[in-house]
Amino acid sequence: MSASDAFGLFGCGVLGLAVVATLIPLRRLPAGARYVVMLAAAFALFIPFGDLPAAAYLRGVTGDVSVTTLVLAGCACIARLTGKALIEPRERQVLYQLLALAALFLYPFALGWTPFDPYSLGYGSIGLVTVLLMVTLAAWRAKLYVIVFIVIAAALAYLAGAYESRNLWDYLIDPLVSVYALIRLLSGLRHRLSGKVTQPAG
Amino acid sequence: MTRGGWLRWGSLAAAALVFAGLYVRNLALPSSGGFAPAQAARAASPAAPLYGAELLPNSTAASVHSATAAEISGGRLRAFWYGGSREGAPDVAIYSSLYSPKEGTWSPERVVMTREIAQRQLRRYVRKLGNPVAGRDRGGRLCLFFVSVSVGGWAGSAVNLMVSEDEGETWGPPRRLVASPFFNISTLVKGPPLQFAGAETGLPVYHEFLGKFGELLRLDQLGRVIRKTRLSWGQSSLQPVIVPRSEAEAVGFMRYAGDPPNRILMIRTSDGGAHWSAPVKTALPNPNAAIASALLADGRLLLAFNNAGENREDLSLAISEDFGDTWRVVRRLEGDPGSPGAPVAEYSYPWIVQDRAGEIHVLYTWGRSRIKHVHFNTAWLEERR
Repeated sequence: MSASDAFGLFGCGVLGLAVVATLIPLRRLPAGARYVVMLAAAFALFIPFGDLPAAAYLRGVTGDVSVTTLVLAGCACIARLTGKALIEPRERQVLYQLLALAALFLYPFALGWTPFDPYSLGYGSIGLVTVLLMVTLAAWRAKLYVIVFIVIAAALAYLAGAYESRNLWDYLIDPLVSVYALIRLLSGLRHRLSGKVTQPAG
Repeated sequence: MTRGGWLRWGSLAAAALVFAGLYVRNLALPSSGGFAPAQAARAASPAAPLYGAELLPNSTAASVHSATAAEISGGRLRAFWYGGSREGAPDVAIYSSLYSPKEGTWSPERVVMTREIAQRQLRRYVRKLGNPVAGRDRGGRLCLFFVSVSVGGWAGSAVNLMVSEDEGETWGPPRRLVASPFFNISTLVKGPPLQFAGAETGLPVYHEFLGKFGELLRLDQLGRVIRKTRLSWGQSSLQPVIVPRSEAEAVGFMRYAGDPPNRILMIRTSDGGAHWSAPVKTALPNPNAAIASALLADGRLLLAFNNAGENREDLSLAISEDFGDTWRVVRRLEGDPGSPGAPVAEYSYPWIVQDRAGEIHVLYTWGRSRIKHVHFNTAWLEERR
C-alpha cells in the first residue's frame, strides 16, 4: 500500500470514527465502555472485510478528506471520549467563517461557470500562499492557535505529498467540512436571531 | 518560558518554517513549457491507394464502446476499449487486443482492468468503469488512462492512470488523478494525451457535474496532476481533443452539447497551451458526439466525426489544409445507403492514429456490439470516386 493510500484511508477512517462518536451517545456510557465502542468502530472501519475496509468505501464516496476535516474529526472523537472540548467556541466560530469564505471563493468557480479557476491556483501560486500566510499571521496574533496548527499541518502534509493530490486546496478544505461550517454558521445565526426576537423588550 | 509562551512563539516558528517551504516549492516550480515537437517525420505513403477494415474480436461482451489505441514496437497497434453487459454495468471491463500489420489480424481480446481489480488497487470502492485512453508519457512509456465511478452516473467519474514498461503486456497499479476540488468527481477523458517540452505529459479532460467544460491537465513524471488550464467553460462543451503543430500552436476540437445549431467546437492556443481562445462553432455538424483528430505527416489535419446534426449514423472523414479554418469532407466510413451496416446504426467515438510508416488507423464503435478498425493511406483519402 502506498503512503498516500494509507494516509487517505486513515483520514476517511477518522472521519468515520467521528460520525460514529457523534451518532452514539458516548457520554452516557462509562469511560471504559466509550473506549471499547470506539475501538470496535476503529476495527470495523480499518480491518478489511473481503477486498476493502469500510474506510475504503467511505473514501470511494468522499475522496481524500482535507487536513482540516481530519483535525476537526479527531477533535470530535477526543471530545466525545473525554467530554472535554479541544477547540474554544470563539476559535471554532472564526474557523467556520474562514472555511465558508474559502468555499464560496473556490467551489462555484470550480463548476466551470467562468473562465476563472481558483482551484488551479492550488498547484502553485505565490498569491495564494501569501493570502494563507496573512490569514495565519492574523490567527496567530489573535491567539487562535488551532487555526495556526491546522494551516501548519495542512502545509506540512502538502509539502510531504501525503495525499494523491498536489493541489494545496485539497489539503486545506473539502466539500464536507465546507458544508459543515456553513451549517454551523447558519445554525448559530438562527439561534442569535431567535434569541433577539424572544428577548423581552426594555 | 511559560507554557503559553512556548505555544505562542513555537507556533510562530513552525509557521515560518512551513511557509518558507511553501514559498520555496512555489518558486522552484518549473515554468510551463510549450508542446513537444512532433514525432520524427514518417515515411511518405506509397502512391497506390490502400484500404483495409476489420472488426476487433469480442467473444463475451454484449456491449462495447470507446476504443483507443497506440502504436507500439514493431509497428504494431495496441487497442483498448470497454465492454460488458451494457454501458455502466458492474461487469464492464477494459479489454485490449494487439494488431499485427504484417498479418493484418487482431489478437484475441484480453481483460486489462475490471471494477474489482480497480477498487482493490486504488484502495477505494469502485462501482463501474468507463472510457479508456491510451498514449505515451514523456518518458515514452505506454499509458492507459481510464474512467471509474464510485457514486452516481458519469458525472461522478474520476480518471486513473496506469503505466506499462513492456508495451502493454503487464501494467503497474493504477493511481488516481486529482483534478477537481469537489470530491474529485466529474473528470472524464476521451482525447489522447500529448507531450510538453519539459517533463510534463498533457491530458485533455472534461467535467460533467452541473457544467460541461474542458480542461488540459499537466502531469509530472509520476503521473500526478501539477497544473491545469481551462479550455472552455459553461454547460455545452466536452471531450476535448488537442492537436499541437508547433511548440506554441495547437488547435482543439470539442463535442457540443448546447442549443442548435449543433456544430463541432474549435479552440486555439498560440502560447503553448497557457491560454486558449473561446470556443467557436465550425461549419461541421456534431450530434453531441465524440470527435477524433490528428495532424498528418504532411501537415494537414484529419478529423473523424459524425456528419449529421442529430444522429450517429454517418461517420465521415474531413481534411483541413489550413489548420482548421476550412474543411473538406473526403470520405464516409459508415452510413452509405445500401451498404451493410451494424444491427444498431450507431458509429461513434472515433480514434485516429497515424503510424510511423504513414498508415492511418481509425477505430470506432460499430453498432455498440463491436469495435471496427479501418486503415488507409493518404492516397486513399484523396482518391477520386
